[in-house]
Order: sequence, then C-alpha cells, then structure tokens
Amino acid sequence: MTETNLRITGLSKSFGGVQALDGVDLTVPAGQVHALLGHNGAGKSTLIKCLGGAFPPDAGTIEVGGASYPRLSPRESIAAGVAIIFQTPSVVDSLTVAENIFLGQEWTRHGRIDRRAQEGVAAGLLQRVAASCSPRDRVGELPMGQRQLVEIAKALSRSASVLVLDEPTAALSGAESDALAERVEDLRAQGLAIVYVTHLLGEVERLADAVTVLRDGRVTHHSAVAGHTRRELVEAIAGRADAVHRDSPAAESGDVPIGAPRAPRLTVDGLRGPGFGPVDVGVAEGEIVGLYGLIGSGRTRILETLFGRRRATGGTVRVGDRAVTATRPSDALAAGIALVPADRRRQGLFPGLGAQDNALLPTVRSLARRGVRALGAERRVFGALSDAVGLRPVRPRLPAVAFSGGNQQKLVLGRWINEARTVDVLLLDEPTQGVDVGARQEIYQVVSSLAEQRSAAVLFASSDPEEIVALAHRCLIVSAGRVVGELSGAELTEAALLSAVHDASPAPSEGAV
Amino acid sequence: MTTATTALPTPRALAGGGLTAVRRNPLLMVLALMVLVFQLTTGSFLDAGNLRGIATDAATLAIVAVPLALLVISGYLDLSVGSTLALGGLVAGWLAGQQHQSPVVAVLGALAAGAAVGAVNGVLCCYLGLSAFIVTLGMLTAVRGLAQQLFPLPLSSFGSGFAWLGGSRIAGIDAPVFIAALVLLAGALFLALTPAGRHVFAIGVNREAAYLSGVNIRRTPFALFVVTGVAAALAGAIKASVLDSVVAGTSGAGFELTVLTAVLLGGVALTGGSGSVFGVLLGVLFLGCLQNGLTLLNVPTFWQQMAQGSALVAGAALAYFGPRLTR
Repeated sequence: MTETNLRITGLSKSFGGVQALDGVDLTVPAGQVHALLGHNGAGKSTLIKCLGGAFPPDAGTIEVGGASYPRLSPRESIAAGVAIIFQTPSVVDSLTVAENIFLGQEWTRHGRIDRRAQEGVAAGLLQRVAASCSPRDRVGELPMGQRQLVEIAKALSRSASVLVLDEPTAALSGAESDALAERVEDLRAQGLAIVYVTHLLGEVERLADAVTVLRDGRVTHHSAVAGHTRRELVEAIAGRADAVHRDSPAAESGDVPIGAPRAPRLTVDGLRGPGFGPVDVGVAEGEIVGLYGLIGSGRTRILETLFGRRRATGGTVRVGDRAVTATRPSDALAAGIALVPADRRRQGLFPGLGAQDNALLPTVRSLARRGVRALGAERRVFGALSDAVGLRPVRPRLPAVAFSGGNQQKLVLGRWINEARTVDVLLLDEPTQGVDVGARQEIYQVVSSLAEQRSAAVLFASSDPEEIVALAHRCLIVSAGRVVGELSGAELTEAALLSAVHDASPAPSEGAV
Repeated sequence: MTTATTALPTPRALAGGGLTAVRRNPLLMVLALMVLVFQLTTGSFLDAGNLRGIATDAATLAIVAVPLALLVISGYLDLSVGSTLALGGLVAGWLAGQQHQSPVVAVLGALAAGAAVGAVNGVLCCYLGLSAFIVTLGMLTAVRGLAQQLFPLPLSSFGSGFAWLGGSRIAGIDAPVFIAALVLLAGALFLALTPAGRHVFAIGVNREAAYLSGVNIRRTPFALFVVTGVAAALAGAIKASVLDSVVAGTSGAGFELTVLTAVLLGGVALTGGSGSVFGVLLGVLFLGCLQNGLTLLNVPTFWQQMAQGSALVAGAALAYFGPRLTR
C-alpha cells in the first residue's frame, strides 16, 4: 500500500447562501498525480483555498501526512507541507531567483543574509526541477515557464509533500508546457502527492493517475484515468450530454466555400511590425480563419497591429475595398474592425462596472441623442445582446466581476455583437481562455453565427488545436512572425496542427519574440 | 466574492429610492445622527441662520469637490486646487478692485486663470502620461509661488458690484449655494446621462480596456482637469467676494486636503472607478456640519482638525470592515 499523503474528507464550505463545496472527498497518495477538473465556479478554487488556509471550511477534515486538521491557517498549511502554485506565478519580479526561493525564510549569518549559501542551495533546487535559469537571474526577466519552476523550487525548499498546481499551463507555450509535464512526472517519481487542476483533457490523459470532477461543489466523477472515456469526463464536467464537442463548422459547410467563392472582407498584404511579418492574410465574408501558433509566434502581435494597438511598419490592410490605416484602436473600430483581447482581466473587462455598462461601453455614444444617453434603447440592446450570447444571469447592473469566466467573455464579445454596431471584421485572441467547456461551445456558436448571418470576417488566434478545429474553416500556421502553412477542409485536424507547428519551429527558441 | 463594489448612479437612483440611498451611503445616517446631537447640545444648530451659514461655507467646498470627484473616479487626482483657488480669488479681486473692471470680467478672468492651471495639469497627466500625484503636488507649490509673485500684497475692497457674487440671493437662496447646487446637479446628470459619464467610470476601472473599446482615454480626463481648475478659481472668486479681501500666501491653504477629505468621505474610491455625486454632497455636508457644530460648542480649532481627520480614517475603516460585519 502506498502511504496516503493528502486526504480530504467531507469538506463543505458555503458563502452566503451558495454552497461552494458540498461534502467533497479527495485522496491523493504520495507519488500520484490527481487531476481536478470542473467548470469555473465548480468549487475547484474554493477547495484549493481551503487547503491553502485562505478560507476556513464549514465542515470536514484535511489530513496531510497523517496529521488531521479541521481548518488550516496559511502558515499551518505551509508548515504541514502543502504548496500551491497558482496560475500566474506569485513571485517578486524585482528580486533574484535565489531571493525569491528563500523569501520569508532567509538564511542569515551574523544577522545578514547569506547570499552565497542561499544561491548554492537554490542552484541544487533549480537542478531538481530542471530549470535553466541561474539563482542570480532577476525573476522579472524570466519567461513564464521559468518563473513557474522557480515557484516549484520554492515549494521544494520548504520540503512540501503536497503540491497543488492550478492550471499551470494556462500561461505557458507548447514547449514550456511539455517541459512542465516532464517536471511533474519527475516530482511524482520523487514521491510528492500532486493535485493538478486543469481544463485540458489532453493533460489529464498524459499526466494523471486519477481524476476527480467537481460540479456545483460536489464530486460528480471519480476514477483512475484508465477507467473512463473523454466523453464521460466532458459530460461529468458539463453535466449534460449535449456539451460534447460540436462538429467542426468546416465539416458542416466544407463544400460551400469551394462552390461559391465569397467576396474578400479582410485583405492584408505584406503587413509588418516589430517581431513579425511580412504577413498576407485574406478572410472572405462569412469565413472564420484561425491563426495557430505557439506563444511568442507573433499571432497576438498580428491581431493587435490590425487593430491599431501596435504600429505597423509596412503593408496594407483593406476592409472590403477600403484601405484602412489604424494607428489607434478607435481608428480600427471606425473602419469596422473589432478585437476581443486575450487577457480579459487586463484588457477586456471592467470588473466593478455592471454587465450592461461592460457590454455597451462602445455603443453608448452611438445610441445617444444630442449627447444624452438613450436609456430605453440601451436596455433593449442589452436585452437582445444577452439573448444572442446566452448571458447568465441576465442582470444588467450586476458587476462583471461577479460573472463566471465564460459569461465575462460573453460580455466582452457582446460589445461587438449587437444590433447597434456593425462589425465587418472580428479579431479574437484566445477566445476561450479560462472559459469552461459549456460556455466555450456557446461562444463558438455566437462567433459562427456572426460570420454566417452578418457576413463578418472572423480571424482568431489560438494555441489550442482543439479550438482551431472546432471553430475555424481554415487555419494559418504562424511561426516566428510568419505564416508558414495553411490547413483547411479535411486536412484541418488536431494532429496536423500539432505536427505543422512542430515542423515549423526551427530551434527551441520561442518566447524570444 | 470579497470585492466590494460601489453601485453606479443611475437615473433611477437619482430619482429617489430613499432606502437604497441609506443602504449605500451609511454616511447619511451618521450625518443625521450628528445633526441630532448638535441640535440637542447647542439648541441652535438647526436655526435658519445657522443652516444658512453652513450652506454658504459648504458651497465653495462642493463647487470644487464635484469636478475633483469626477477626476478621482476617472483615476486621476488634483492636489493643486487650493493654490488655484487663491490664484482665482486674486485675479478676480485684482480685476474688480485695482482695474475697476465689471464683476463679470473679473469672474471670467479668474475662470481663465483656473482653466490655464487645469490645462497644464491635464496636458502633463493625460497627454504626457506623468503621475497626477506628482504633477499636481508640484503645481500646488508652483501656483502658490506664482500667486505670491504676481500679488505680493494683500488685495481688498473690491467694490459693491463684485460683492454681488458672494452676497446676493438668487430665488431666495444665497448665490454661492445656488451655484453649488447647479454644480452638483450638473455633475450628477453628467455621470448618469452622458456617454462621457460612462467613459469616466470605464477609464477609472480599466484604462487599457477602455482604450481597446475605442474610448478616447485622454480627452475626457483632460477636460475634467480643466473643469476642476475652473471650479477652484470660481470658488476662489466667491471667497474673495464674501471676504472682500484675498491674501496670496494663505488663501485656500490646505483647501485641497479638505476637498479631498470630502470626496473620499463621500465614498469615491481613490483607486478610481467608483463613486457618486450624491456621496460627495454627503461628504461636503458632513464636513460643513462637523465644523459648524464644533464651533458652536466652542471646541478649539485643533480639536476640530482632529475630529475631521479622525472622521476620514473612521470612514475608511467603516468602508473596509462594514461589509464584513454585516455578512
């Protein structure tokens, strides 16, 4: 029998009237990776926070390494051997790697920090996680993947026996994700009990020994990885059978573009900017084109330059037959080009403002009469927009921060999909990042119907092959700032995308751009 | 779940809903309680004459507090309003008293001076992207220095025409109070009913997202800096008219902190993105009543200052702990 390292029994927690966790059991033996799946709002974060001591549970016990706790403070949690690595690394950018690892537990000699000793130990820890950075590097200058390894090294320095990784690959490129997966395998071999929170089923299949799915605060599925199918997992997460990947629109309408060539809506010729180009892209009316590439391949820069967020250094952009020179987002918007940015928190959302203010911000002025807001029209447009994107709950004054990730994205998307605005070209960057499976399908449907019903051209960037296949009619492969390949129709499969990027990257030097 | 968000004013909230107003503005109850205590202890607090005094004192505060609140909601700050107030009073007094210009010209001159200060602040903060705290802290000193350089001697005796601004009555209300009421109304309508009012909130909450939504993130805050400068100068002209004298070195000294205290007491978040004109009105009335009541009770000035400062800290503590206690 393997020694059990983490055992959570009957854990419950409610906030106000909402039961966030309801009698959750989770057991992770030493030397196992346990995947934790579920919608945003399913209770994963609450579970982690109870484990980390941020919230006291209402009922249940947490056992770590044989000792049992009805509740933990953050300090007790660390002392018990629990280390939590959050999505975005919580490291101090201005300190060095070694200083970060020993933050709060500095080694001192005659009352002064013993840098040399710290750096020596840090080097050993970095080696253990196979990080390529040096103890003296400043953390702010490291790529995301390395920062995450620094955090794991920090956890090891506190002799953690339970490691919780909260969507660790969300901010990583493909190569970095692969490297992280290897580290997770090493750490498992070293006897850590690992809780791995993710949305990606591929990661579950690769890494996990067991899976627990949460929905509405309860465990809806629990099994060893070998004992289930992908379909079962998706159903357990979504709670309904219809949420299984919808058929690719490319398959549905695959023969239409060939028989009836449609007018080009977006034409990009030789677009260049710092770090990318020249790039040629054409998107027809009603067409959805994907830009697939790793983080750092330049796909975000291409979209941001089209939107006027960055300066182009050359090339032409046309919407229909009008030439567009966008030096600011407002210029692009005036020309009918809109962007849904990748970083919703920083670039998309107004967390403290109500849902209606969020969705109608760019529209308020055009609805206004003689400088006075048309409140009735605003309400009506918001109502129609909520229906169109499937917003839940439909509460115009509820602050955006109170909505789930998927519904926040619907609010940002809704800005450009409403009756008071005509968007000819919709650009989306990672359209479903941090969005749960159910809302993901709805967002795909909204984007597809925008293309079909309003003949808009859609150009979206994604690092998720599953998403490209589900949404795109045609896909351009981006690497090192250039379009290096194109897939469409029956060729457009996940396997083809993965191998295309693999072939395209000449050296493992991405992340530099 | 722990994020406390202040609801935005909407026309419905403006129209009424007394209960919601109390729930959202605990200051309203504190204010009512304070008025009650002062009335019981002094016996004369609620006399018409005293209330009129409070209103006149609070008027200049309100005139500056409203545009300053809008500026703070959009994520900026103006610490130079005390010095701008002095400059405005001096320019108006000089034009009316020394140059024998009409009161209208005197006031317009003051407003122009205020607009100039506001425009400098606005260009540096909004278009060049410098820190509003640093720029306006610098302008606080620089404008005071300029005022003293231009008007080294105290100015007084501005003539009966200019006294009209501070002393006459419009529709039975003292002119400064009437002007303050107009400013409050304009501020509330601006926030609730204009697209630019939405932009103010959006810019304060998330500048980057506002920019990517096509909002002009420079023009609106720039205009607010200019309006704040104009308002400070107008308040200065009113004070000069009421007192019939201005001294460059002391007029409006510390005023910026009093206004900011009123704005923050009124529930405007220093981090931007939330606040209401109704809250600002409460903040202004609170400070006005506190000062007046304590004066009636013959409380020494330094105790009054301690009370004012403590009120701000208590308000911050209440905003922080209040939602937790009621949960």
